Amino acid sequence: MIRLFAAALACVLLAGCTTTNSRVNTQAAAVRPAAGTRIVLMTPDVDLGLLTAAGMTEPRADWSRAARDNLASQIETAVKARQHAYSTANPDDAMTGRVGQLLRLNSTVGASIMTFGYTNALPTKKGSFDWTLGEGAQALSTAYDADYALFFTGRGTYASEGRVATAVGLALLGVSVPLGQQVVYASLIDLRTGKVVWFNVAVAGPSDDMRKSEGAAGLVAAVFKDIPL
Amino acid sequence: MRTRIALSLTAALAIAAAPTAAGAQRLSGERPSAGSVEEGFWTASDKAERAARTSAELNTDPALNAYVRGVACKVAVEYCGDVRVYVLDRPFFNATMAPNGYTEVWSGLMLRASNEAELAFTLSHEVTHFERNHFLEAWNAEKNRQNAMLALSVGIAVLGATAAVNSGSAEAARSIMDATGNLIDVVYLAGMTAFFRFSRENEAEADALGVRRMAAAGYDPRAAATIWTAVRDETASSQFERTRKSEGRLNVFATHPLTRDRIASLEARAASLGAGGDDGRARYRAAIRPHLSAWLRDDLRRRDYGQTLFLLNRLAVGGEDLGVLEFYRGEAFRLRRQDGDLHLAEEAYAAASAWPDAPPQAFRELGELRRKRGDVAGARVAFETYLARAPQAEDAWLVQDSLQSMGNPT
Repeated sequence: MIRLFAAALACVLLAGCTTTNSRVNTQAAAVRPAAGTRIVLMTPDVDLGLLTAAGMTEPRADWSRAARDNLASQIETAVKARQHAYSTANPDDAMTGRVGQLLRLNSTVGASIMTFGYTNALPTKKGSFDWTLGEGAQALSTAYDADYALFFTGRGTYASEGRVATAVGLALLGVSVPLGQQVVYASLIDLRTGKVVWFNVAVAGPSDDMRKSEGAAGLVAAVFKDIPL
Repeated sequence: MRTRIALSLTAALAIAAAPTAAGAQRLSGERPSAGSVEEGFWTASDKAERAARTSAELNTDPALNAYVRGVACKVAVEYCGDVRVYVLDRPFFNATMAPNGYTEVWSGLMLRASNEAELAFTLSHEVTHFERNHFLEAWNAEKNRQNAMLALSVGIAVLGATAAVNSGSAEAARSIMDATGNLIDVVYLAGMTAFFRFSRENEAEADALGVRRMAAAGYDPRAAATIWTAVRDETASSQFERTRKSEGRLNVFATHPLTRDRIASLEARAASLGAGGDDGRARYRAAIRPHLSAWLRDDLRRRDYGQTLFLLNRLAVGGEDLGVLEFYRGEAFRLRRQDGDLHLAEEAYAAASAWPDAPPQAFRELGELRRKRGDVAGARVAFETYLARAPQAEDAWLVQDSLQSMGNPT
């Protein structure tokens, strides 16, 4: 019986709000772009899938598409409310040449920050946040006619009904089964220096379902809570 | 209790072993409906294809790509417009066709096919996976198998296996940030690996319909068995015991178990279709000739000299390209470094040097081995030939130095 209550309590605790964890570049001279700075908003890169009963991930293009569009529109709304000139661009349209290389470098740097910038921090990265694309990022500044670029990435799964049933069933036996989880991260890059000036990662809460417009709004608001814009 | 475990095990195995229904045939130009599982895989494949287009491993020779596409179209017939072929420079035997029609043919396969008919068979095999929607079947089968495994582990949990309880709690206790690292690209990876797990039934169907498809395109169906035989024999000649024991799993994804039965059944099918048809040997060789040297150099990086030497013998059967092939035979011996290999290497370099297509490096290596053996006059001739053939070589100064250090001929 005690175990049953513990399982129920865990469910309540796990179903919290969206959690975020941001980093600000410790090497950048100034993090906050001046008013009127040109910012290019990159189309979010989103991959979502269905978590099957046994825990396999089945890609769902319709969810990914809906979430991408919802996030793009919420990001634009959020930036519009601030004092900067902005434009939008889709990185998938520019995957060749130097610009394509830099965009792929940015994806790799983002993934590395996720892997080595937080819990598994590299010894050289402890206590500092000095990730950069290098000065070559100026090519992006020229290509997109912008001073800063804002990237947004989303990955995650939503549990199938079978998965939820399995989780409920096993919770009664005291076994906790992870349900779907969605992680998004955003990075603001100073295209003149290449520095990642601000980075934030969020684990979406159940009310912030990015497949829906309101959910995406809540998620973007949480991620942008301390964005230096 | 033991009976109950045994029972649930049986149930799980029954689900796992249940034969999958034959794949529904797809229509040419067909796209999956929005929100379907298939659409998810198409999107993942589109992403992989975009990455391949800018990959450093992509072979960008337009003539080679046009040639392989032409062969693919010849066997794909109604799906010609759906299939997009990319040749990737990867030294392993592999070809895959993703559900969206994105097709990879690896240089390791191009190097191992001895004629156009063998390439046509491997492509016909892949087109059949594509035509019959095998990837979707494979995915559903895997999902059922995993669910059955889950049911089994639930059974164990009911029986009170506390270890499962503990690991479950540990799982839940993992910090949020720790979990996020593992989520990166999980969708993409999960999607792609699913393609490479076809069932034995799927493979048999792809073989059977593939042979028919290639024969219908005018190719000699006997090539189906000859390429797999070569792959099996190459595996048997591997340097490594583990590879030799794997019975023909040269493919990096290890999805094509090459049993004797499979080859026998391909031979029987070819016989029933009647021999004859084109094997396109000369056309094929002409198409891969410009890449032989680079691909063989890649193959040596696998450091399986037993396999490379087997491959070189197979390529040399028709007596073509012997300058290049003998040079790489020499390289294989030189790098293998077993007893007597330096002697074998010198012989191979010497054999290469007799052919007009010998790479200049054959003379440099020949000179080096002759010098080590004390054959100063022979070394001098070889080094001088190297310098004459490759005057701009980066290491020309080194070879000149070697020549000087050997002193003047008396």
